[in-house]
Amino acid sequence: MLIKRTERQTRRSNLAATVGNHADGGLDRRSFLRRSGLVATGLATIGALPLATVRKAEAAGPNMAGATIRKSICTHCSVGCTVIAEVSNGVWVGQEPAWDSPINRGSHCAKGAAVRELVGGERRLKYPMKLTNGQWQRVSWDVAINEIGDKLMAIREKSGSDSVYWLGSAKMTDEGAYLFRKLGAFWGTNNTDHQARICHSTTVTGVANTWGYGAMTNSYTDIRNSKTQMIMGGNPAEAHPVSLQHLLEGAEMNKANVIVVDPRLTRTAAHATEYVRIRPGTDIPVLYGIMWHIIKNGWEDKEFIRQRVYGYEDARKEMEKWSPEEVERVSGVPGAQLARVAKMFATEKPSTLIWCMGQTQHTVGTANVRASCMLLLLTGNVGGPGMGANIFRGHDNVQGATDVGLDIVTLPFYYGLAEPAWKHWSRAWEVDYNYLLGRFDDKKIMETTGIPLTRWFDAVILAKDQVAQKDNVKAMFVQGHASNSITRIPDSLNGLKALELLVVADPHPTTWASLSVQAGRKENMYLLPIASQFECKGSRVASNRAMQWGEQIVKPIFESKDDLEVMYLIAKKCGFADPMFKNIKVDNNLPVAEDILREMNRGSWSTGYCGQSPERIKSHMAHQADFDMLTQRATKGPNKGDYYGLPWPCWGSPEVRHPGTPLLYNTNLAAMDGGGVFRARFGIEREEKRPDGTTVKVSLLADGNASKDSEIKDGYPEFTVGVLKKLGWDKDLTEAELAVITKVNPAAPDTVSWSTDLSGGVQRVALKHGCIPYGNGKARMNAFGLPDPIPVHREPIYTPRLDLVEKYPTLPDAKQFRLPNIGFSVQKAAVERGIAKQFPLILSSGRLVEYEGGGEETRSNKWLAELQQDMFIEINPADAAERGIKDGGWVWVLGTENSSKAKVKALVTERVGKGVAWMPFHFGGWFGGEDLRGNYPAGADPVVLGESANTITSYGYDPATGMQEPKVTLCQIRAA
Amino acid sequence: MAKLVAHMRMVAGVLALAFIIAISAPVSAQQPNMVNPTADAVKEQQLLQQLNTIQGRVTIPDEKSSVLVHPAGREWRQFHTVTLKWIGGISIIGMLVVLVLFYLWRGPMRVRSGYSGINILRFDVLERFVHWLTAVTFVILGITGLNITFGRVLLLPLMGPEAFSAWSEWAKYAHNFLSFGFTLGVLLMFVMWIGRNLPTAADVQWLKQGGGMFDKTNSTHAPAYKFNAGQKILFWIIVFASAAMIVSGFMLLFPFYSGLTVGNMELAEIFHAIVGVLFVALILGHIYLGSVGMEGAFGAMADGNVDLNWAKEHHSLWAKEEIRVDKVKGGAMRPAE
Amino acid sequence: MARMKFLCDADRCIECNACVTACKNEHEVPWGINRRRVVTLNDGKPGERSISMACMHCTDAPCAAVCPVNCFYTTADSVVLHSKDLCIGCGYCFYACPFGAPQYPKVGNFGSRGKMDKCTFCAGGPEADGSKEEFEKYGANRLAEGKLPLCAEMCSTKSLLAGDSDVIAQIYKERVSRRGYGSGAWGWQTAYRESIAT
Repeated sequence: MLIKRTERQTRRSNLAATVGNHADGGLDRRSFLRRSGLVATGLATIGALPLATVRKAEAAGPNMAGATIRKSICTHCSVGCTVIAEVSNGVWVGQEPAWDSPINRGSHCAKGAAVRELVGGERRLKYPMKLTNGQWQRVSWDVAINEIGDKLMAIREKSGSDSVYWLGSAKMTDEGAYLFRKLGAFWGTNNTDHQARICHSTTVTGVANTWGYGAMTNSYTDIRNSKTQMIMGGNPAEAHPVSLQHLLEGAEMNKANVIVVDPRLTRTAAHATEYVRIRPGTDIPVLYGIMWHIIKNGWEDKEFIRQRVYGYEDARKEMEKWSPEEVERVSGVPGAQLARVAKMFATEKPSTLIWCMGQTQHTVGTANVRASCMLLLLTGNVGGPGMGANIFRGHDNVQGATDVGLDIVTLPFYYGLAEPAWKHWSRAWEVDYNYLLGRFDDKKIMETTGIPLTRWFDAVILAKDQVAQKDNVKAMFVQGHASNSITRIPDSLNGLKALELLVVADPHPTTWASLSVQAGRKENMYLLPIASQFECKGSRVASNRAMQWGEQIVKPIFESKDDLEVMYLIAKKCGFADPMFKNIKVDNNLPVAEDILREMNRGSWSTGYCGQSPERIKSHMAHQADFDMLTQRATKGPNKGDYYGLPWPCWGSPEVRHPGTPLLYNTNLAAMDGGGVFRARFGIEREEKRPDGTTVKVSLLADGNASKDSEIKDGYPEFTVGVLKKLGWDKDLTEAELAVITKVNPAAPDTVSWSTDLSGGVQRVALKHGCIPYGNGKARMNAFGLPDPIPVHREPIYTPRLDLVEKYPTLPDAKQFRLPNIGFSVQKAAVERGIAKQFPLILSSGRLVEYEGGGEETRSNKWLAELQQDMFIEINPADAAERGIKDGGWVWVLGTENSSKAKVKALVTERVGKGVAWMPFHFGGWFGGEDLRGNYPAGADPVVLGESANTITSYGYDPATGMQEPKVTLCQIRAA
Repeated sequence: MAKLVAHMRMVAGVLALAFIIAISAPVSAQQPNMVNPTADAVKEQQLLQQLNTIQGRVTIPDEKSSVLVHPAGREWRQFHTVTLKWIGGISIIGMLVVLVLFYLWRGPMRVRSGYSGINILRFDVLERFVHWLTAVTFVILGITGLNITFGRVLLLPLMGPEAFSAWSEWAKYAHNFLSFGFTLGVLLMFVMWIGRNLPTAADVQWLKQGGGMFDKTNSTHAPAYKFNAGQKILFWIIVFASAAMIVSGFMLLFPFYSGLTVGNMELAEIFHAIVGVLFVALILGHIYLGSVGMEGAFGAMADGNVDLNWAKEHHSLWAKEEIRVDKVKGGAMRPAE
Repeated sequence: MARMKFLCDADRCIECNACVTACKNEHEVPWGINRRRVVTLNDGKPGERSISMACMHCTDAPCAAVCPVNCFYTTADSVVLHSKDLCIGCGYCFYACPFGAPQYPKVGNFGSRGKMDKCTFCAGGPEADGSKEEFEKYGANRLAEGKLPLCAEMCSTKSLLAGDSDVIAQIYKERVSRRGYGSGAWGWQTAYRESIAT
């Protein structure tokens, strides 16, 4: 039997003896080491070791014969791991490590290593489906699009264009998300949103209002340079596992401090050198507590603050309020521990602050991230390697989808919604402004922010006069967003029932399907099968702002269609395809992705997506091996000098060949090398009131500080043609550029700025003089204009600490985003009714590594689903003992609103502190103890179903962004 | 013992918990002001020394997979590959050697007074069926069981790997399925014969005389009812050994059922194997006495009849009973063999 | 010849389960069979560590020793493999294995537990390298293609190392000396009767 093996052994020994060079497909020493997981730093020492695994590649694997290799990007989180697919006869047959990627270096997490199963498609939605008398029926695409289009037009006729809500997705490519926003604009509404609302909308708002752009300032790989890593409100070990490669290796190499501040001792915290347990919802007191020690000991970076920070004195007053005693009273964190943390963060530099949804998903989300930025500014930890706000975004393209403006508050690339923004985009789209204006109910609503997705059902079910638009939302067109990732599911059921039309375009039926049937919906609902992103091509922007191009790995399976095709079909049916696709080639109903990216390049000056042509991005993907992992810069090859993925801002037209900006606001580099300064976004100066009643004008521009090689050594405003003229640099503009500038604003060409100049001339000239187009301003500790310009602590709506509500109440009720936000009344009522006695446990929610988002996609993946088969709740052993709850036993979780309840398994663990419970938010398909498997179209139900955490979560919205509050509510748990 | 330890552990846990609750009563509980998870990391050596097994938590619903390292597997392997072979070899080969020597020394136990020609029904159809059900399944279970332990050494070289695997697979099926027949047989036997196997005064006499086994003149006939003391001892050994085999066997048949751990499984196998080889050795002795070792005994389980003289010599009290109730059949018409 | 081993650096392992799904993906391992798994010790407490575990390809492998039909063999690279044609599904290898590696398609033993399945170090089985039969029974044979096990190659934090003993031990030693701590080469003492001096 085993004779063959012996033969093989002989053959092998001969080989080993004879093979001198191992170039022909075998495992040479270098690749062996790399495959062994060795970092480059170890090579020298390993050199002396005997290496006996040299072997010639023999017969290829059974599936691999003749397989072609295609590269795409993992569709699960924002790290941006390259996926290498082996495709044979149109079938994806194998996955190989992407060694050349300077981001993941071959690695994946459970989800990335299982993405091939997505296109296996066992549980995918295979055909368009229509709900008829409560039953799912297969229909053709033609029928579906026609009926949907007719109904959309009828609703528009009756209730106005704002009554259709377009809910897009961070899972789309940049091109898809951009086109979806454009679809909203051409339909005539700002009710276009996507997952960033419930993910990092507060980050985008809070951080952009601090120093210009609301994105991760540095990158995953740059954290390798940090001497102190502080992770506050994030669990990247589960949410961004591949990032931990950089965090852990960096910590090992630098013997860095790894501080984790979190209510849970997370998988990330297990690898920390300092773990700080806080009460959920007390980030601001803890951050101020740290800052209190810093200013007390004089550890603040005085020079940095003087040159680059505005509003320090105002902020200092708030910091001084948070003595160690008060911090401990509010958050439970001992003062001595924070003193140590403060010293590490302020003195063992560079320090970075990493956060995720632990900070953002709160009614005080914007204030939380603002306080985080203040800590970084206070210690001078912005704008250099190993520093910065490393904000880990969620989905693979949530950064991109945010940038391209799939959002209720802005047009693409943060131009806002005011008339100049619309005019800019009408020029970029080459469509008449008045045409766009005519698509809206009126000009006012055209310039008014839309309804956040967190409130879609409120917009459906609230009285008409409570919704500040022509009529309630009557139709939802959902393309790639879960319903169970939105809080207050019991309330959403009313919305699901009341909608006149519900269209769900997704690779899976999602909980929109199962909950709609549960809500009693019988008609007027369609499911459209969408291809996964591996069946489409296009660009994605990872959290580090780097853009990567994904190839189509296989053709869309079954009858599913590319996102872009569905948008085109809808636009065509609704009669605005021609103007919308004026500059985009459409191939057999499929818009060409490259054309869309080029159109984005032409209009995205404000964010520096202008230099990222499809050709440059594709070249980066093709030559990944040329890029250095630590610096992300190509050291050789056709892209030499570029940073990987041209992280935005990548200034100027592609011909300018700006290398991208790996670290934002980094004054150590020249503008054309990726350097930067804080953005002069908030004006040149501000009038401040003095105590004596007089006013003084204070400059908002940087003071005696600029990026390397800048010809202006001090602060400067954003560049316009007028500024260029003042500097005498307008001579550098070419005839052609001037012609375009004049066309942009014939009346006042001097006002044409770096962000509206479609020629890119203003940017080119600024860069030529070493200046950053957006100006050189100060970062704001005092972010005037926000609800709390200087963050203040506010207790969660549902807090167990009734004693603190009076001193730290939530903000008063107000009308925001076309809807009332009655958080204050809810908090007041909860206190008066003594909710905290009935529901004594704090309930928080978060991520599991195996699943993502609402989880229908990953729970349909059998390789992943096997690893987490039951929805559970983590409960402290003390709380469990009080309630007679056993590990692994069933429990009822009871919520504060709507008599909500959920049946889940108990996981008794010290991971959560006493008084705190925690649930993962990826489950769905159960409601109130009932299994809804029968509500899915046959064969498209996920493998694993379970109760949604958001069945229990409750009211609470950030005033600045409409962010929901899934991180702190109250609950009671009983053994079932 | 293990249970006691577990109990104590639970008590300690509850006390610890009570303590935790006590100290964490206020909401803003005083937390330790230094927690360094990396410095506190568990170490393998330390865990192995404490518990000799390392267990944690897994998310898959497979409880046994939560055992990370279980070095006891090494000890079980030592038992299975070395100790068991010695125990089995010594007990089985030893028993065969003893029997051969005994036969050579003693020869078969004769019916001293010769056959009377009168048959007496010793076991009825049901009794014989139950006996043979148990016996046949036992033999197959024994052989297929021994194959698992000794086949690799004894048969594999002779048969070659493919043939041996095919045989072993069928042997395993036979072992697994026939276990139910054996279980049934043992249960029926127990119910059927328990009344006759309770100790009596005569048993003392019988035991004192060694059952007459060591009297080469065949003149010692210890008094006995239907079953003599030796048979009663055999009965009870069979009952307990079978129970042991059945319980451990079913554990092995349904591995890891309702929380059994790999340690339990190993213990079950050790138990099953040791009792098994000793049982086989014991039954070899039984087979000897029921066949070549004693003249006139086999008939009792063949057609159910024994010669009256045999009965009088070996089971005098039973023979008396039988004659009194006039169960003697056939008279001179039916020769005993 | 190399001495192939696995080494899980618990100070890097974050229980991301990439190794588990990579294995499923590469070999199309069915539901319920877990050639590799991640066990978390001290779950939720300071000092929590996770370790990815599969067949360790032991020196003098216990599974091979107790197998009643001798279906195991060790390759020239010291990878412990077995023949599913010979395996009778008795389950003894699981009792002997210190690492819980052997897996069976059926839960009970009634009738048969089916052919044992376990980690092959991505080295297939007795069939011809890269053949269809080999893939169907044992999964891909990466070693024959000059590649290492996919679980280690895809490990998110380069915690799981696979390769020649000397090389991975050296990598681990360097890591420990650089960072100043290490919870040990889990399972090595039991599998190989040796550990890595750090």
